[in-house]
Amino acid sequence: MIRRNAFLSAAMLCSLVALPAHAASYRADAKSSTLTFSSSYQGEAFTGRFGRFDANIAFDPANLATSNFDVTITLASADTQSSERDDALKGADFFNVAKMPTAHYIASKFRSLGGNRYAADGSLTLRGVTKPVVLNFTWTPGAAPALVGDANVNRLDFGVGGGQWADTATIGNAVKVHTALKLVAASGAALPVKK
Amino acid sequence: MSAMPTRTPSKWGGVSMFFHWLIALLIVALATVGLIMVDMENSPTKISVFQLHKSIGITVLALAALRLVWRLAHRVPAPVAGTPRWQHLAASGTHAALYAMMFVMPISGWLFNSAANFPLKWFGLVKLPALWGPDRAVKAWALDVHVYGFYVLAVLVLMHVGAALWHHSFKKDETLVRMLPDGWVADPSAPSESPGRTTS
Repeated sequence: MIRRNAFLSAAMLCSLVALPAHAASYRADAKSSTLTFSSSYQGEAFTGRFGRFDANIAFDPANLATSNFDVTITLASADTQSSERDDALKGADFFNVAKMPTAHYIASKFRSLGGNRYAADGSLTLRGVTKPVVLNFTWTPGAAPALVGDANVNRLDFGVGGGQWADTATIGNAVKVHTALKLVAASGAALPVKK
Repeated sequence: MSAMPTRTPSKWGGVSMFFHWLIALLIVALATVGLIMVDMENSPTKISVFQLHKSIGITVLALAALRLVWRLAHRVPAPVAGTPRWQHLAASGTHAALYAMMFVMPISGWLFNSAANFPLKWFGLVKLPALWGPDRAVKAWALDVHVYGFYVLAVLVLMHVGAALWHHSFKKDETLVRMLPDGWVADPSAPSESPGRTTS
């Protein structure tokens, strides 16, 4: 029982053109999604968050081949609740936001780790350096799916805090990245289509 | 003369002298390091110098607490004979203010450090808790107390040192010598030991 109106017809046409079926596309809801990072400073753990990032997530557990992540992070939005540290992070020795304002994470290869756990074999571009970064995540399906993931990044691989700041006794090299995304269907993209 | 706790002593005891001169030395070190560090370019070295300033400051706080307990539990030397009442009051007021600043300075620094969300590890050995969570308003307020407190402390120290030297060099009484171990500096009120006077 399909009502014939132009809108649905267009949607149906789209879904036909898109054969084989693509994974559903989502965007992270900015208000209820978080992206945090933690490392050590003078031997003490600290945590920061990126207030602005844009996560475009196309994911379907039944169709990993067409799944795709594309996340852009505004580095100047880094907040570690210490204005001195945040200013240093934005400066030329660290993120260098004046020259490279964003970091970019893309992934198109996915592995199932059993249950609702998956791994994205993606790559992160930060400060002009691109390196492979694996994001392990859980996927909770639904109308508004949830993605909770963790990745390990070595800041020195990307030249974040090189030179005199390379000493890891002051600032640790290992950075844990944690994200909790609440996803909403990307506007203008695939409408939920029942098979 | 052996210690007679029931009588007012003629000079300061060894523990009082130890607290006085050690804290004085540490305050000079804190002021020197503090004035240098604030103008440094950000670097790991700057972080280490701040760490040193914080560690010395916490040391002074602990010493000041012990010193206050010691002071309250013991009799103190009376003012030298002939001291006018206003001078005794001025000296007592300055001493009380100096004691207060020995707490105000490290606590405001610790509070600033806490509100600024910096870690605090005493000489890299003992982790100390934050007195407050990250808070811009408290951070700004604590820094004001610390900075203006430094000027207050500087004025108090100048008054204190100036008065001690004035007593020693112009009034030629035993005020300064009472805070020094025997024989380190000649007592100007004892003619036979006065420097510059040749004994026949």
